Amino acid sequence: MTSARIGTNAFPPPVLEVQRVTKSFAGFTAIKDVSLTLQQGEMRGLIGSNGAGKSTLMHLIYGRELPDEGAIIFGGQGVSDLPPFQRARLGMALKFQVTSVFDDLTVEENLALGAQPKKRVRKGKNERIDEILGLIELEPKRSWQARELSHGEMQWLEIGMVLLTDPALLLLDEPTSGMTRAESRHTADLLHSLREQQAVAAMMIVEHDLEFIRLVSDSVTVLHRGSVLAAGTVAEVQDNADVQDAYLGRLA
Amino acid sequence: MAVIVGLPLVSEDAFLADQLGKFFLYGIFALSVDLVWGYGGMFTFGQATFFGWAGYVVGMLTVREVGFLPLPFWVALPTAVAAVALLALGLGYFVFSGRLALRGVYFAVVTLAMAVLSERLANAGGDITGGQNGILFGARLGLPGLFYFDRDYGFYGLTATLLVIVYLLLRRYILSPTGLVLRGIGQNEDRVALLGYDVAAVKRRVLVMSSAIAGLAGALFHVHDGIVSPGAVGVELSTLVLLWVALGGRGTLIGPVVGAVGLSLLNARLSGTFLDTWLLVVGVVLVAVIVAFPAGLFGFLHQSRSRV
Repeated sequence: MTSARIGTNAFPPPVLEVQRVTKSFAGFTAIKDVSLTLQQGEMRGLIGSNGAGKSTLMHLIYGRELPDEGAIIFGGQGVSDLPPFQRARLGMALKFQVTSVFDDLTVEENLALGAQPKKRVRKGKNERIDEILGLIELEPKRSWQARELSHGEMQWLEIGMVLLTDPALLLLDEPTSGMTRAESRHTADLLHSLREQQAVAAMMIVEHDLEFIRLVSDSVTVLHRGSVLAAGTVAEVQDNADVQDAYLGRLA
Repeated sequence: MAVIVGLPLVSEDAFLADQLGKFFLYGIFALSVDLVWGYGGMFTFGQATFFGWAGYVVGMLTVREVGFLPLPFWVALPTAVAAVALLALGLGYFVFSGRLALRGVYFAVVTLAMAVLSERLANAGGDITGGQNGILFGARLGLPGLFYFDRDYGFYGLTATLLVIVYLLLRRYILSPTGLVLRGIGQNEDRVALLGYDVAAVKRRVLVMSSAIAGLAGALFHVHDGIVSPGAVGVELSTLVLLWVALGGRGTLIGPVVGAVGLSLLNARLSGTFLDTWLLVVGVVLVAVIVAFPAGLFGFLHQSRSRV
């Protein structure tokens, strides 16, 4: 599905490379010399305490902010100077932290908006919408207005909407904020089935909830005061003494 | 819609027909605001700029006798519409593109400035705009042999037809895939951009469309009135049209038409009788309606229906 953007050769480029990126705001360095790489099939967690730079890093990746130094490479292509909508067209999808569905549109219209921008997706659009409706289990509510959905359902609708853009990279900014425990688990199941179906090439999940990160991530990057403090598997990171001091320790 | 358009035919009142003819143009004007504000979420304080300048351009091209002027009305009208559309295109590039990307209250302020500036320019334009007096349309304008802007059912027929056409075209647009994008932008512009849409381009196109609609209505309106003066491009009319749209219901198509035609009709009929208290009454009714139904009369009806 993603072959048009991500190379089809035997050694495809990483889905996302953040190369030595720095970003300051009025003298405050929010992100300092951060590098990370997302390989095909990877589910990466991004954690860190408040003010660690998680949000700024996300903004730099999807283009709301431009880096002062360094580069963002997406599917082998430099995108550092592209505005968000062009990065989205290349296959980057973001689920906002604040629920961002279109309240006055129906569930189906919300999804149709996701399916529209690319001609490739427009073909067989209705079938794709039906498929996603099944995946996010909103088939019975397809003609409801989005405002009538529960909080969890709105989050899933937004995930469904961005999936219809047929993305290579799915960025999820605190996807379980405000969710009940059951809704969080349901979201984790949804993300796992996306991976099984190879619906997206890679995912990056920003979360406060470590329990959720454990459920959905193979690898974790820990940010602390704008820099990468540690990276590795969930177990490795949890055993890291620096991380325990800086982040996990404080939660315990 | 049929009720509004058919009113004078039933009452056989030529004066009412003529008056309604003008108010239908206000209805089209209100629809142009509804497109950018009601659906696209771009709150504009300067829509009269397009409505008024189109009238001025027709005046400049048809009244004076210099060089290749005067031009016939049927040449001047599309030129006027194109001129204001060009103005909107320039505005669109200025406010929506690049890192500036103004929205919300910032866009409102720029459009307000545009209206204020326009009024100043019209006042100070000397022979070109006629200064405070504006431009008087002396010649008998219309389409030769077909139609003239005289006070009769012809004007009413023309504007009623136009109103219905604009209404139907906008309805079709709003329900189309591109219309869906516009409605999305009105509700959450960032979400739309991050689905891969060039939001600035969509907004620019809509602004141009809306200005052309306003310009068409404004050109016909002033030719019929026989005069265009600085108030036509200014803040007061820009604000009045917002009231029509807010009262009738932004984000519905019938609401702004009813708001524009209804309020104008009430104003014409009642302001003579209750000279001193009329504006007060209008103000109180407006505040009451907007407090009771923030979505406007038809916005309220629309919402309660879809809740069922």
